[in-house]
Amino acid sequence: MSEFLFYLLSVIALVGGLGVIFSKSPMGSVLSLLLSFFALAVVYLLAGFAFMAAVQILVYAGAIMVLFLFVIMLLNLGGMGTRFELSAAPLSSSRAKLAAVVAAGVGLAGLIAAQRASLPALPEGGAPERIDDIQQIAIALFGRYSLPFQAVSLLLLVTMVAVLVLAKRRGKESAQ
Amino acid sequence: MDVPQPLIWIAKIVVIFGGLVGTAALMSLAERKVSAWMQYRIGPNRVGPFGLLQPLADGIKFIFKEELIPAGANKFMFRLAPALSAAPAMLTMAVIPIGGTAVIAGREIPLSIADVDIGVLFLLAFSGLSIYGVILGGWASNSKYSLLGGLRASAQMISYELTLILTILAVVALEGTLNLRAISENQASIGQWNIWTQPLAFVLFTITMFAETNRHPFDFAECEPELVGGFHTEYSAMRFALYFLGEYCAMTVLSCLNATLFLGGPSVPFWPEAPWFIGVAAFCLKAGFFLFLFLWVRWSLPRMRFDQLMRLGWKVFLPLALANLLVTGAFISFGAH
Amino acid sequence: MVIVQRKELTFAERLYLPEIFRGLSITFSKFFEKPITRQYPEEPLPTDEVTRGQPRLVVKDDGNIACVSCGMCEIACPAYAITIDGGETDRQIEREPKRFEIDMLRCILCGFCEEACPKDAIFMSNELELADTTRRGLVYDLEKLKRPKSALQPRIDYVYRINKRWRSKQP
Repeated sequence: MSEFLFYLLSVIALVGGLGVIFSKSPMGSVLSLLLSFFALAVVYLLAGFAFMAAVQILVYAGAIMVLFLFVIMLLNLGGMGTRFELSAAPLSSSRAKLAAVVAAGVGLAGLIAAQRASLPALPEGGAPERIDDIQQIAIALFGRYSLPFQAVSLLLLVTMVAVLVLAKRRGKESAQ
Repeated sequence: MDVPQPLIWIAKIVVIFGGLVGTAALMSLAERKVSAWMQYRIGPNRVGPFGLLQPLADGIKFIFKEELIPAGANKFMFRLAPALSAAPAMLTMAVIPIGGTAVIAGREIPLSIADVDIGVLFLLAFSGLSIYGVILGGWASNSKYSLLGGLRASAQMISYELTLILTILAVVALEGTLNLRAISENQASIGQWNIWTQPLAFVLFTITMFAETNRHPFDFAECEPELVGGFHTEYSAMRFALYFLGEYCAMTVLSCLNATLFLGGPSVPFWPEAPWFIGVAAFCLKAGFFLFLFLWVRWSLPRMRFDQLMRLGWKVFLPLALANLLVTGAFISFGAH
Repeated sequence: MVIVQRKELTFAERLYLPEIFRGLSITFSKFFEKPITRQYPEEPLPTDEVTRGQPRLVVKDDGNIACVSCGMCEIACPAYAITIDGGETDRQIEREPKRFEIDMLRCILCGFCEEACPKDAIFMSNELELADTTRRGLVYDLEKLKRPKSALQPRIDYVYRINKRWRSKQP
């Protein structure tokens, strides 16, 4: 039964994924992606990761996709024209280069931290039995994998700032 | 006599879900009654005693009204959206414990449909989804008012969901569990209610509740003077009713959640050994108070401006909720033990 | 030009919550006050002699209508609501209407017909309700317009009183 469900959900997830690419309207793409997310969430649930499933829906479907929808509705993307050319101007300054290096460095540090064997050892008795337990997840995230976690958070912050810089720059040019 | 377990499940689903939908239907009457009483009026009193059958009459009317789909609308999405708005609100009721453990004919029955360990997360995840109905409905209507209503709703709900989650997180951190039943059982006596330890979170949650359900004074998704009817301008008949049902269900669920998180759920003040049905009644009273608050505020306060709403959400509530969480975390780490 | 000085808000007011509770308490206090609703069809609006309702024809105590179909009201009517076909009668006044119709959909309840009538045959009653499912049904004929004099007496007295008042100014 669960095996059948797994294959069914996989097919749904794949169909959703294909729909994202082949859908003619951006709205269709968003909804296809949503379908895919939901199928994935149920797959997590089948595997016993209830927490992951809930977070998948909460974060991806509940927050990120809503933002996507928001942007699509705001911009009213009809035909994908050349309206979204980004100017390379903000990247040319030396400060921007520095920022890029910092971002890349943080990302690299995160990767290395995740890979290095110098991580604190696993708790006694190997990996915890109940992988779904939130406490265990928290302990792993903030203990064993604390450094990569922080690095990824920092990287996300850097990305956010970068997007703001790019968007701001474009706004200024169009105002001139 | 031994009743099989699935039958008990079905009975629980019927009772709790029926109660939710019944409450939502009665809310539509209560809304009109409360507004009437506050304005020296009587309110609907023609259908049944005190107008109690009015929701039924409204329902019949909605079913038989003509269904209109505007030209140029995305038909599939237009039809889907109201269901997307109502279904998550109804789903979330499943994890809320409306009482302790009922003892009927010697059998112990926990009074919630699903007793999941990640109840709070489940509830947040699905209540966050109800926004899709609003956005998609607004977008699919092919009408500028609907689109603006949908846009506003999405911006507003994303902003306030953060505060909502952060305030709930403070309670969850304090209780150390995401299981709603455990949270409500931890507040068995009135001294243990979370409202005493988390007064700021309680106030923030209560206000955010209004924003999350798009209710007055934050009802910018509808906002009659500017947007005609907002996201549901183009909707008619049963689909329109479904939006309203969804809204009232969401209100009911959030009221129940507020009662569970901060007011001890089914715990009766100064009577710890109260039988289970008294507990259920206490829970209904607590949730009912918040439902009344929804109506009370709606008919008392003027609507805010949209920029005020955003400023309030991001510059006041979010920092306050973060600070509250920080203090709570510090207290747990250094103070309690 | 007026320069409005904006009031400096106190901290309690800027906190907003106390003010919200103040507003809520005001509406809550109204909760228990007596409603002023009038249950209309069961409790009709009070009317008196000044009320200018729909025009009605006076039926005298001897059972005949006072109208002699002179057509004055028909001419006075600004909305052309009245239609009269005159006819003969064996009574002493010799004339009475064969057809007297008022289209209530056109009637604007102005009372000109009442003023114009030389025979005190038409008066504004205190009847205000008007409903039907067809337009034809709202064109009232003689039978529908007839009212016994006693029913219209307060209005008749009132009109006499008023008329006497302004007649006395031009002796």
